[in-house]
Amino acid sequence: MLAMAPGEKIKAKIKKNLPVRGPQAPTIKELMRWYCLNTNTHGCRRIVVSRGRLRRLLWILFTLTAVALIFWQCALLVASFYTVSVSIKVHFQKLDFPAVTICNINPYKYSVVRDLLADLEQETRVALKTLYGFPENTSRKRREAESWNSAWEGTRPKFLKLVPLMAFGQDETGEAKDFLTGRKRKFNGRIIHKASDATHVHLSKEVVGFQLCSNDTSHCALYTFSSGVNAIQEWYTLHYMNIMAQVPLEKKINMSYSAEELLVTCLFDGVSCDARNFTLFHHPMYGNCYTFNNRENETILSTSMGGSEYGLQVILYLNEEEYNPFLVSSSGAKVIVHRQDEYPFIEDVGTEIEPAMATSIGMHLTESFKLSEPYSQCTEDGSDVPISNIYKAAYSLQICLHSCFQTKMVEKCGCAQYNQPLPPAANYCNYQQHPNWMYCYYELHQAFVREELGCQAVCREACSFKEWTLTTSLAQWPSVVSEKWLLPILTWDQGQQIKKKLNKTDLAKLLIFYKDLNQRSIMESPANSIEMLLSNFGGQLGLWMSCSVVCVIEIIEVFFIDSFSIIARHQWQKAKEWWARRHAPPGPQGRDNPGLDVDDELPTFTSALRLPPAPGTQVPGTPPPRYNTLRLERAFSDQLTDTQVPAES
Amino acid sequence: MHLKKYLRKCLHRLQKGPGYTYKELLVWYCNNTNTHGPKRIICEGPKKKAMWFLITLLFTSLVCWQWGVFIRTYLSWEVSVSLSIGFKTMDFPAVTICNASPFQYSKVKHLLKDLDELMEAVLERILAPEQSYANATRTLNFTIWNDTPLVLIDERKPSRPVVLDLLGDVHNGSASSSPAPGRTCTAQGCKVAMRLATNIFSQVPRHKLVEMGYPAERLILACLFGPEPCNYRNFTSIFHPDYGNCYIFNWGMTEKALPSANPGAEFGLKLILDIGQEDYVPFLTSTAGARLLLHGQRSYPFIKDEGIYAMSGTETSIGVLVDKLERKGEPYSQCTVNGSDVPVRNLYSDYNTTYSIQACIRSCFQEHMIQNCSCAHFLYPLPHGERYCNNREFPDWAYCYSHLCMSVAQRETCINMCKESCNDTQYKMTISMADWPSEASEDWIFHVLSQERDQSTNITLNRKGVVKLNIYFQEFNYRIIEESAANNIVWLLSNLGGQFGFWMGGSVLCLIEFGEILIDFVWITIIKLVAFAKSLRQRRAQARYAGPPPTVAELVEAHTNFGFQPDVARPGPDPGTYPDEQTLPIPGTPPPNYDSLRLQPLDVIESDSEGDAI
Repeated sequence: MLAMAPGEKIKAKIKKNLPVRGPQAPTIKELMRWYCLNTNTHGCRRIVVSRGRLRRLLWILFTLTAVALIFWQCALLVASFYTVSVSIKVHFQKLDFPAVTICNINPYKYSVVRDLLADLEQETRVALKTLYGFPENTSRKRREAESWNSAWEGTRPKFLKLVPLMAFGQDETGEAKDFLTGRKRKFNGRIIHKASDATHVHLSKEVVGFQLCSNDTSHCALYTFSSGVNAIQEWYTLHYMNIMAQVPLEKKINMSYSAEELLVTCLFDGVSCDARNFTLFHHPMYGNCYTFNNRENETILSTSMGGSEYGLQVILYLNEEEYNPFLVSSSGAKVIVHRQDEYPFIEDVGTEIEPAMATSIGMHLTESFKLSEPYSQCTEDGSDVPISNIYKAAYSLQICLHSCFQTKMVEKCGCAQYNQPLPPAANYCNYQQHPNWMYCYYELHQAFVREELGCQAVCREACSFKEWTLTTSLAQWPSVVSEKWLLPILTWDQGQQIKKKLNKTDLAKLLIFYKDLNQRSIMESPANSIEMLLSNFGGQLGLWMSCSVVCVIEIIEVFFIDSFSIIARHQWQKAKEWWARRHAPPGPQGRDNPGLDVDDELPTFTSALRLPPAPGTQVPGTPPPRYNTLRLERAFSDQLTDTQVPAES
Repeated sequence: MHLKKYLRKCLHRLQKGPGYTYKELLVWYCNNTNTHGPKRIICEGPKKKAMWFLITLLFTSLVCWQWGVFIRTYLSWEVSVSLSIGFKTMDFPAVTICNASPFQYSKVKHLLKDLDELMEAVLERILAPEQSYANATRTLNFTIWNDTPLVLIDERKPSRPVVLDLLGDVHNGSASSSPAPGRTCTAQGCKVAMRLATNIFSQVPRHKLVEMGYPAERLILACLFGPEPCNYRNFTSIFHPDYGNCYIFNWGMTEKALPSANPGAEFGLKLILDIGQEDYVPFLTSTAGARLLLHGQRSYPFIKDEGIYAMSGTETSIGVLVDKLERKGEPYSQCTVNGSDVPVRNLYSDYNTTYSIQACIRSCFQEHMIQNCSCAHFLYPLPHGERYCNNREFPDWAYCYSHLCMSVAQRETCINMCKESCNDTQYKMTISMADWPSEASEDWIFHVLSQERDQSTNITLNRKGVVKLNIYFQEFNYRIIEESAANNIVWLLSNLGGQFGFWMGGSVLCLIEFGEILIDFVWITIIKLVAFAKSLRQRRAQARYAGPPPTVAELVEAHTNFGFQPDVARPGPDPGTYPDEQTLPIPGTPPPNYDSLRLQPLDVIESDSEGDAI
């Protein structure tokens, strides 16, 4: 004892005091019985302990049901793991003022672009005259119209020839009247009605449309409209885009309105501002637009008070005389409120402003944040969407859709559509280079609308966005009594730019302000965390079977390791027996003491696991009594005799 | 007595103890606890023992960590939001109506005479700079002008801008003294006129101002709430410095608020107003229309910030959706129920209205105004014992005011001081407009309305004056966003239980078991300490006796029999001497020494035999 190392001493002491026990069951059945008696889960014990077959069967059923329930509930918990909970928060704070883009509805001054569009306008007027008997004298500029009419004789109509406008009866679809020549001609091709069937009211009426053909004229499509107004406008826009696509950008900017011209007065947060606070943004269909609070290298303006006093107040000069009569039929301005890094889709989401009115727009800011993968399909910055962004702006769903269409357009038709920015190494469509682009464009657009291009499937929404809810109200401006002094002053003010007296209908007043500084944030947050999931598991396991991870480990231990070792032991024994029967001739050696043989050959659980043997197990015969062996058995030692199980080996 | 009994019990317990050694206690605990891990530690071989010990430790630390996470989550006081949308009978919102012009020009003309003449002169001067010298000689009252002159800044030479006093010589003062100089002067001109006008109006007593505004019976021509007719008497009058007389329908101050139980225009409020555009003050407002605001009952209408316009000659239909936000107060979010815990005195409480953050910010501004400029601004309510600013008493207030307005720091302090109110109601409006009256009905409608108001057979109204309003609930009239505690105590307990159960199959009872074991542990320690102390004393006592401990007889007889002489005292029967002294005549068993039972203290023996015990 004295010579022993301290480590060995402790070891010996542990060996002495805590003897190894284990499922030394020789068969699987015994192991199961041992497991059921000693496991921590409830239910199993009942199976073994119960007497009577019915009762035992019932307990087996109950236990199995409980296990099934646990699996089901845990599967539900796992399945609902990636759900989100939404929280809405309202803050009252200083808010950044959004960027405000203002455009005149009319893109270019008509007096300047007329040279480019003269032929087109002439032909449009002729078409109107032939189609509806439109008297030329009613046009605003009578004298000039007459002069065009005289000029008409000399030139050949190129636009009507290229895309002929036609009128034909609804019922006789095969026959169309080309009103350039006045001849009826057979038409064989698809007819696409721009108006849906539900809106057809006058069925007997003659409808107007135009024909678009692909390279070989056999593929033609006829587009018809329920009203001539739409047909003419659509036809005009088509040619207008053709013409404008060939004009360089600098020239277009010069043809449009300057900031000084558009903005008569400007006031932000009670402080005067002017054209220098606006940045130019050229939109293909709206000409020069001006964005407030979007200047690079400058801090974003913010508001710390709600109300119209503290927002942006501008008076716009619209100059209705310079409007293009065929391109735009309404008058006013368009305004859009957007984030500084967002592209203003003025044609899609703009708010229109009426002339001779004060439009006051109250804003409420709502911010939304979504959780991206795996909670939803949104994208943070668009980098994981397989569409390249052709806009110089932050990702949005709309940018993705437009980019997708434009890319497809360049692929299919070989040129880019005029409304949208140019992708790299492409140019805008025009007749000279792409004579049949219009047909291609219309076909592609139809496919896009029908979601055949796959753009809608590929593009995903952005995860976070700011939205300004607008409350728009109108009032008359200027009032009858203030008109008398207001208009002369404004005229004097604009004296440098325009040389004429201002009219009430040329002006519009716009007020954009935060109604109050309450900012609403809608945020998604994960509804479940891993801790919650585990504790829910624990709740389920505990509720049905009073089980825990320990039980799971037990199950693994017993059902996999122990069972495996028992089976292996059996197999080993069988193999050994077989081997012995095969090789060694049957002899009487060792037959007289079979117990010794078993002791040698059958490994016990502990010896199978190469555990040190428990003291006392290997001693054959009666061991000397150890007086210090009286142990308090666990709870089951004082079991009732009727539930007493047969003694284990 | 009780205390003594209790103390004795304690002593008893102290002496007895749980009766286990540390090891016994641990083994007993592992064997009998309900948590799943410890049981396995003690029942199998050393490798398994070590494994189970590690597993149990790991799981215990996991449970502790997860509990920490949950408790921290609970203490972060998060809220979850529930949103409900639908229709129910709700109180119709209070509707405040103002005319865009605060006063009837015909009634304020005498006050503004000087100012208007000045303005006209200025306009002439601007529009025709060369010829106006002759006209400018007209008698003008320059007292107002000299306070705040309008200037023309010539920026043609950007390096040296020339400041021109429009009605005098070249102004040689610094540009900053004039309010907001700029290249365009129209808006500023209008603004200055406004400011001068407020200056004038601030000297007029309140009741006179009310008289100069539009009276209810002139403004409100017709009123219909659902099927019930109403008239201007149903409106409460309130004076707004910017818009003059405003009228509030259904404010709920004196009588109960009117409910509306049906959606649609038929069951809402229908109003016909006459804004009388011809009688507008020309330089004060350039916008014509009615100003309108929907707000909650008993709340002050901040019509300038949140109001909308209704245009004359049109019918404006407004569908209303009540958007309510109900916050949970402390500790979940920073909001105030009635504003009593906000360090700003609510000046609008004079109107008997509820707290709102707008009221707080304005009150805060007015406080700052009084601190910095020593007079109160005309647009905000007057605190007690203060006076409104005017040029006569406070000559430089306008400069002070514009300076204060520009100061960002002031606004931010106000925003930081004011708290949001816990219940926030907004009215979302869907606005649509149509021409009214139509050309066909125009004639008879104007006839009827003129007859009703002025008892005249002539038409006294025109398109530019009339405004029709329909205000009604939409099909879904409420959207309530309600905060509730995301993590309550039930949530916390069930998660704690779930974690404990998941890793170790434990419950609160297991914790109590563990606590019991700890207490036992402490007891054992105490007993050991006591035993140790006793053994020390014993050793000392033994040292004093310098021999074997006293026998029972010694102890007993020493107290009762004073003549008692212990056996041991005799030198003869010393056991150690037996083998040496072979003098005893009788060999064999010696006579028993009856007084040989020596008492050792019990615990000393116990502590000796501890090593063998299991």
